[in-house]
Amino acid sequence: MDISYQIPRTALVWILISVVMVVLPQSLRIPAWISIIALGCVIWRVLIFTGKLNYPSRLMRVGVVLFTVAVSISQMRNIGVGLDSAASLLVLGFVFKLIEMRQKRDIYVVIALCFILSMVSFLYSQSVVATLYIAACVVVITGAMISLNRSVLISDNSGTIRLAMKLSMQALPLTIVLFVVFPRIAPLWAVPISSNGSTTGVSDEMAPGDISQLGRSGELAFRVQFENGAQPFHSELYWRGLVLDDFDGVTWRRTNSSSSSSYGRAAALSDFNFNWQDRVNTDGNPIYYNVILEPTQQPWIFGLHLAEDQSNKYFQSRNFELFNNGLITQRTSYDLRSWRSNQTDVTLLDSGRRRTTSLPDDDGNEQSRRFAQQLRSSVNSDRDYVYAVLANFQQSEFYYTLNPSLLGDNRIDDFLFNTREGFCEHYASSFAYLMRAVGIPSRVVVGYQGAEYNPYEDYMMVYQYNAHAWNEVWLEGEGWVRFDPTSAVSPERIELGVEAALADDPAFMEDGLFSAVRRGNIDWINAMRLRLDAIEYEWNRRVVNYNEDVQFEVFEQILGEVTEEKILMLLIGLASVALAVVGFTVIRFDPPSPQTPVNKFYKQVLCKELRKIGLERAPGEGPQAFCARVSRERPELAGPMAEITKLYIQLNYGEKTVEQETIKTELRKMKSLFQQLRTSV
Amino acid sequence: MALDLGARWDKKFQQWMASRIPPRESVTLDRKIIYIIPSSNGLMFVVAAGLVFIAAINYAVSLAFGLAFLMVSIFILAILHCFNNLNQLTFTGLASRAVFAGEQATFRVKITRSPTRKHEALHLNFPGENSSHADLFINDQVEVDVFAAASKRGYFKAPLLKTTTYYPLGLCRAWSVLDLNLRCLVYPKPIPFVMSQFNIGSGGTDDSAIIKEGSEDFYGLRDYVPGDSMRQVAWKNVARGQGMQVKQFVDYVDNKVWLDWDMFYGFNTEERLSRLCYCILKLSKQDKPFGMKIPGSEIPPDTGPEHKKKLLRTLALFGVE
Repeated sequence: MDISYQIPRTALVWILISVVMVVLPQSLRIPAWISIIALGCVIWRVLIFTGKLNYPSRLMRVGVVLFTVAVSISQMRNIGVGLDSAASLLVLGFVFKLIEMRQKRDIYVVIALCFILSMVSFLYSQSVVATLYIAACVVVITGAMISLNRSVLISDNSGTIRLAMKLSMQALPLTIVLFVVFPRIAPLWAVPISSNGSTTGVSDEMAPGDISQLGRSGELAFRVQFENGAQPFHSELYWRGLVLDDFDGVTWRRTNSSSSSSYGRAAALSDFNFNWQDRVNTDGNPIYYNVILEPTQQPWIFGLHLAEDQSNKYFQSRNFELFNNGLITQRTSYDLRSWRSNQTDVTLLDSGRRRTTSLPDDDGNEQSRRFAQQLRSSVNSDRDYVYAVLANFQQSEFYYTLNPSLLGDNRIDDFLFNTREGFCEHYASSFAYLMRAVGIPSRVVVGYQGAEYNPYEDYMMVYQYNAHAWNEVWLEGEGWVRFDPTSAVSPERIELGVEAALADDPAFMEDGLFSAVRRGNIDWINAMRLRLDAIEYEWNRRVVNYNEDVQFEVFEQILGEVTEEKILMLLIGLASVALAVVGFTVIRFDPPSPQTPVNKFYKQVLCKELRKIGLERAPGEGPQAFCARVSRERPELAGPMAEITKLYIQLNYGEKTVEQETIKTELRKMKSLFQQLRTSV
Repeated sequence: MALDLGARWDKKFQQWMASRIPPRESVTLDRKIIYIIPSSNGLMFVVAAGLVFIAAINYAVSLAFGLAFLMVSIFILAILHCFNNLNQLTFTGLASRAVFAGEQATFRVKITRSPTRKHEALHLNFPGENSSHADLFINDQVEVDVFAAASKRGYFKAPLLKTTTYYPLGLCRAWSVLDLNLRCLVYPKPIPFVMSQFNIGSGGTDDSAIIKEGSEDFYGLRDYVPGDSMRQVAWKNVARGQGMQVKQFVDYVDNKVWLDWDMFYGFNTEERLSRLCYCILKLSKQDKPFGMKIPGSEIPPDTGPEHKKKLLRTLALFGVE
């Protein structure tokens, strides 16, 4: 009835550890001042615990509520109603509850919030490391619940953690069954995860220096697996992202992408979902591949030209870019097929020609324009002109570097005739400029080039330093053709990869973790890195990516034709098997206790004998009650019966540690008494 | 009205439970008599799992599904472990000490486990009473005192003993209700009574007088024992060469102290018993012999704790089958 509602002190320590553990991953994302408040609350709680501070007063609590309301309003105004503001609010409410909790009931509120915050962590990252961390959190929270329910007199923390681990391990089989079999439901209502996390990867603007910035990052951009091992050559791996066709003298942009707020809607971005098949000629068989893209906070995805989405979830734009409906805020897996021999827009519309040949009127760069016109007049065709420009890059002293000199006002002129050092964006930009200067339609394409092959799971890894910019030039009768001026300057960049091309550049991958180690190219470390990434990749493919569609395929494999009844039966069947297995390991059934000689004698000899004379021991009748009844009905038996009963109780219910020898002598005594009793009968 | 109905239902339920549970001195808990329901904290936990699940659906986060399922599995395991914490425990009722009506009756229960198991955080209580706590963590058996208010004199049969546990996670409550045939003798509640109202007998030296060591009358001589007062040494006898002897003095006490039913004229039965009880306690402290006459029994004067117990027991069971 009145179970102590106070919080045991050891339990409080457990709770505090769980709180710190679940808030820690959040603190990377929420504003710093919220983390500081959270830390303050934990410290306050510790001070309450040690008796140095008191619980918050009523006034204080009202103040805290008002403060939280104010914070939530300002958060919504600043970063919008989204995951981040919700996460910060959750953390605030959570730590305030922490200082206020007094009773076990309050602790369970905190524990429930711990689980919900763990779930919030999964919204941000579902990597192997994040999963292992949350698993550790769950064990600690379980430990908190256990220590909350143990006696205050027992301080056995190692026992608590052991039990918590045991419980979690026992819970695992059932969890796996539910995970695999429990029908996944499509979202009940659309919740876009709008996160103010900074965008990563190539952006929809390209100014000099933008892509070389990515060259400093060793972060993963995406992983690709080709079906049937049909991997193209390294030099063919142009992961097309966006097409930039608007140039203002400094920066290349997508046309009509002035309002970045429209990125929420893919249809708006992709202009219109036109019947694009009419504008392409394809040849040969497509290659099929799967891409797992890391979150970019941008709406576009990457693929080999000319890519078609197999699931019809993505929108094709008029420049054959692919857009997701909403930002990519989580790791996303998609299947594409690409026709590598293709022709697009063999007939170019006037509007398209205007767009891809226009240059700003007042951008200067007179020297470049003159150079272009001279060069064009010296060759016969557009294609020859392209080769002449590439040859110029190859033959003049151009340098491929991540740290080029700064450019003056006439950027193109300065680069082409003065500094002559730059990263791919400099080459792509000036190449397109030289094309447009003589009226050849051209545009800049940004994306990634190259990949690292992981032999352990047979897939490729594309890093941020693979970011690249190249060009597409429209040629009469051929449509848009890809040219890469960087390859003219640094052929090894395209053939061997950026690692080889920039191996001596100190800026390469300088921001990456272990970059020094990776540049050192130590074999076993490299192997380990690839192995770890392979684990991560498999985890993504098999666990993180396990959605309705994959589940349906699994059901089809198991059940053949999938019906609701079959799914239900499979769920119930597997769940009960798992439950039965776990149940039998958890619940310890004692074997029927072996009959002690004393017990055997009492029940099988004495009671049997007495039954013969009509004195049967009633079920549940204690030995004393039975003895009393026997003595009452057959007073002549009272003496030995009382003696036997006394010995029996003493041996059977008394101290368990009585020595075997004593038991034997006592039993002998009982037997001789029984002989007396028998003669009386 | 509702409360009344609730109380009536409760009583009915208790009766139904009592009819289901045969009284036995020693009971081993098993699945037939262990009940489990989720606690309110457990319901909150399930709601939290539901929230995680809904979030998993809406954000389409695979591992959040996993977390929701893990929470459900932990909940199910909590049920199994909670059951385990009671399963195969043996409860044995032990003899209990007599109390006065209005006091807390103390019932001693022995709990035994099999050596391979540990049981923790057991709470034992009678309906509506405070609970007692027990752990079988180190020892194989413990004895626990469980309390119940004894309101009426006579044999007090303990109500149904409830053993509850929330261990290990507090998400569900497992309990079992037992009748260990616990009984306790309840004496009448003592009510103060001015003793001088009745006759404690007159001083005198008649035959029935009993001798008690005192300081009034000279009684005789006995051999000196180290520690005797020097003032009581019969120095004259020492001078006569008869050795060290001590003068003994005694008080003469009348033993004819009788507590009589009729002394409490004007009170009803229970009031008389209560006052008799008070007088017994009072007189037994003075160490004077006294007897008691009540309808149906007459107990001759005597002293000592056994005598007191006998008297109180007679009072407790007066008119009780």
